[in-house]
Amino acid sequence: MAMQVLVNLILAFVWAFLNNDLTPVTFAVGYVLGFVLLFLLRRFLPAPFYGRRIVALVVLIGIFLKELILSNIDVIKHVAKPQQAFTPGIVALPIHLRSPREITTLANLISLTPGTLSVDVSVDNSTLYIHVLDISAAEEVSDDIKNTFEKRIREVTR
Amino acid sequence: MKTNDLILQTVTKVVLFIILVFAVFILNAGHHSPGGGFVGGLLTTSAFVLLSLAFGMETVQKAVPVNFRHVMALGLSIAFLCGIGATVLQYPFLTHAFGYVHLPLLGETELTTALIFDIGVYLTVTGATMTAILTIGEDR
Repeated sequence: MAMQVLVNLILAFVWAFLNNDLTPVTFAVGYVLGFVLLFLLRRFLPAPFYGRRIVALVVLIGIFLKELILSNIDVIKHVAKPQQAFTPGIVALPIHLRSPREITTLANLISLTPGTLSVDVSVDNSTLYIHVLDISAAEEVSDDIKNTFEKRIREVTR
Repeated sequence: MKTNDLILQTVTKVVLFIILVFAVFILNAGHHSPGGGFVGGLLTTSAFVLLSLAFGMETVQKAVPVNFRHVMALGLSIAFLCGIGATVLQYPFLTHAFGYVHLPLLGETELTTALIFDIGVYLTVTGATMTAILTIGEDR
């Protein structure tokens, strides 16, 4: 992944030097050209082509924004009610992510969506403790996190 | 009670470098906009303090294997020699010069001796604050 990005940057530099023009525009053209060449020769590369991950990252950001808006509306509904019609609680969510980067990303995405807040990671990195606004919907929330964020993060990092 | 600092440590690994780059930017920008050696030095210190909060003191001493008292001394020497340089050229002490130089790739660049003085201030502040924090933080 990092190696391919590096090769792509080197190709952009080569393109800019060949054109004898070190402006950002030429550099960007060279980068796109290198990206296309890497895509065409993706079967020759030792690792999977990194463009797939960029698409996955854009999808992850889109899903995050969608979740953000939906859960905001949810919290507004809770706030607008005259009595408190929910009981908060803490849910233990088993996670199947390995690297610290993945776990941190997941925890921060959970914290950024209103109504859920990651409290702690267990010592062996296998469980995430989440404070949810409404414990009656805990199953729903944990399934939601599992199927959206966790799956998408795994697509970005692997 | 064992705690897991995984999230703090992972974020620190990224944010540390952003703070250090910002510190160098502030140091460089001090001539025409807010900033300068003092703020840059404090920002550098804050980056190292964040590192020590997330990973412990030993990590800082391993990652930056310098004696911060020497850094302080080096900074003071740079600032002093920058002032002495003016007296050598028959000007009053600490007179600063600046000029526009045409550098390759960068084009028209303003170079000042005040930046050298600022680097001296930067190193002094970093060394002094790091020395204070590390000596207070030690368990002995």
